[in-house]
Amino acid sequence: MKPLASAALLGLAVVLIFLLSIRLGSVDLTTGEVFAALRGEGDLNVRRIVVDLRAPRAVMAILVGGGLSLAGAVFQALLRNPLAEPYILGISGGAATGAVLALAMGLTASLAWALPAAAFAGALLAIVLVLRVAATADHGVDVRVLLLAGVVVGAFFTACMSFVLSISDARTVRSTVLWMMGSLAGSDWRTVLMVTLYTLPTGVALVGLARPLNLLAIGEETAGYLGANVERVKRVAYVLASLLTAAGVAATGVIGFVGLIVPHGVRLLVGADYRVLLPLSFLAGAAFLTLADIVARTILSPAEVPIGVITAFVGVPLFLLLLRRSLGTRLAAGAES
Amino acid sequence: MRWSNSWFLVATLVGCDAFPGEQPSAGVDDAGASRASYPLQLVDDAGMPHTFEAAPRRMVSLVPSATEALLAMDLADRLVGRTDYDRTPELADLPSVGGGLQPNLEVLVSLDLDLVIRFAGDSDLATAERLTELGIAHFAVQSDGIGDVLNIIRDLGEISDASDAADAMLREISDELTDVARRVSALPEPRVAYLLGGDPPWVAGPGTYIDELIAVAGGTNVFDDLGPLYAPVSMEALLDRDLDLILLSNGLTTPSPLAHVPSVVMPASVEIPGPGLGRAARDIARLIHPGAFDESPR
Repeated sequence: MKPLASAALLGLAVVLIFLLSIRLGSVDLTTGEVFAALRGEGDLNVRRIVVDLRAPRAVMAILVGGGLSLAGAVFQALLRNPLAEPYILGISGGAATGAVLALAMGLTASLAWALPAAAFAGALLAIVLVLRVAATADHGVDVRVLLLAGVVVGAFFTACMSFVLSISDARTVRSTVLWMMGSLAGSDWRTVLMVTLYTLPTGVALVGLARPLNLLAIGEETAGYLGANVERVKRVAYVLASLLTAAGVAATGVIGFVGLIVPHGVRLLVGADYRVLLPLSFLAGAAFLTLADIVARTILSPAEVPIGVITAFVGVPLFLLLLRRSLGTRLAAGAES
Repeated sequence: MRWSNSWFLVATLVGCDAFPGEQPSAGVDDAGASRASYPLQLVDDAGMPHTFEAAPRRMVSLVPSATEALLAMDLADRLVGRTDYDRTPELADLPSVGGGLQPNLEVLVSLDLDLVIRFAGDSDLATAERLTELGIAHFAVQSDGIGDVLNIIRDLGEISDASDAADAMLREISDELTDVARRVSALPEPRVAYLLGGDPPWVAGPGTYIDELIAVAGGTNVFDDLGPLYAPVSMEALLDRDLDLILLSNGLTTPSPLAHVPSVVMPASVEIPGPGLGRAARDIARLIHPGAFDESPR
């Protein structure tokens, strides 16, 4: 499909799913009531439900879904592997641990920026750890070691989080489920604003790196010959993608597999040109997570399913499929040589 | 075994604070007249001051103790929603707001409420913040000990313009507690623990209504040094405390390492701290001291 047509279609999908998301919920509202509420008319309580509860939540889903998906696409470019993803690499876990620590130490009461900053620090720690472990002698990255390291580092951060949550008396750390499986339930316009301030500039900067990322995809050496400052691009991209992940995690906890499923689907649709792939991944991720959140909050209404459960139900089978295929080709290639 | 001083204890539990007869403002002599004077000013258990211009007509209680108190005061018609944990048939047809912690805000807003009764304490501060943002009044109550429950009954009575019903309830509870304490006051106190389930099991510690009911009923809670409130304990600690009797929460069986200790399953009256506290004390006392209640059933 033509990139522009795809972009238009996906953009339309995001708008439609956004409208669906503020249309559906535990309380039955008619489409007319919802539109009246959006215009600031009609029953006060309906306006509160639509404008103060559903709308910020839907916007949060767009920002976090788009951010995680874009980050996933960037990690896949940097590591030249379709299995790379913030959750699988342990980066989401690192970010959540940072956020939980900041909350438990009470830093967030006085410093509004402390929560995302702490999440960012945790995310950077995770990515550095994982890359160090997986680095090979020739500056390459062994993918199998990388995935293993990501899983193990992720498990370690989950343990850290459990520990902090179990010793911290302050239940201000909200629920354990939020941080382990993710939830958009806490979204209000204030947190939406915070996530917007981190996500939009970072996202734009990453899309701006699409050309050098394209060169990287050919190979680092070649990219160097073609004039890309490989090391600098890699460092900036790692930092920005981690920041993007951290912003989402700080607000909504750990939501896995978005960065895996979505860019993969988009790649099938439009090919591997990152100038197209990155912005479309953001749009498709936004649509996907908003849809997943609709399921999360309506399927057991008035109770909610953690959204990470839904993304994992969709993401894990796909991950296993990709893993099998990627190891399969690797083994086949090994047998031929 | 210690000797019981539970009679003495009741006086401190129901105290001057909650004992209706001793409160000048809550005298029952002017019976019949509505005594609530609005605007009514009250401070809730989260320390937040409230002013009520009139008795709230549309309420949701997220706290089982408060729900029970409102039902016992015959105020079921003021409740327009329930939680998933309210099993009373009276409320079965009302829309559910989910759990008592992190309730579904959307449903709460749609109910057009005058007041939400919520848990005090820091286990769900986010809900309190969101309710304020959404312009829904919320009154925080703490339901840990017997004194807390009596406070809830008195506060809800005042708020709902039903102080007479509340006072009658308070007097009934304190009479029954006093009676139970009197009956067991001369008896030796068996060493008991109240198991709530879980592995390792959770037990009731100091500050809980269960700990206080055990004391009123003439028993010694071996975990009254623990706490605060409820905590998990190891099987070793349970064995080490040298129990005479295990009190099991509804639906539990004795863990196998404690098979040699006699155990009783608690009746449903003990599950929720509410208007049934007096009855619960009597039920526990009957199980701990079967002999003390032979001569006169209530």
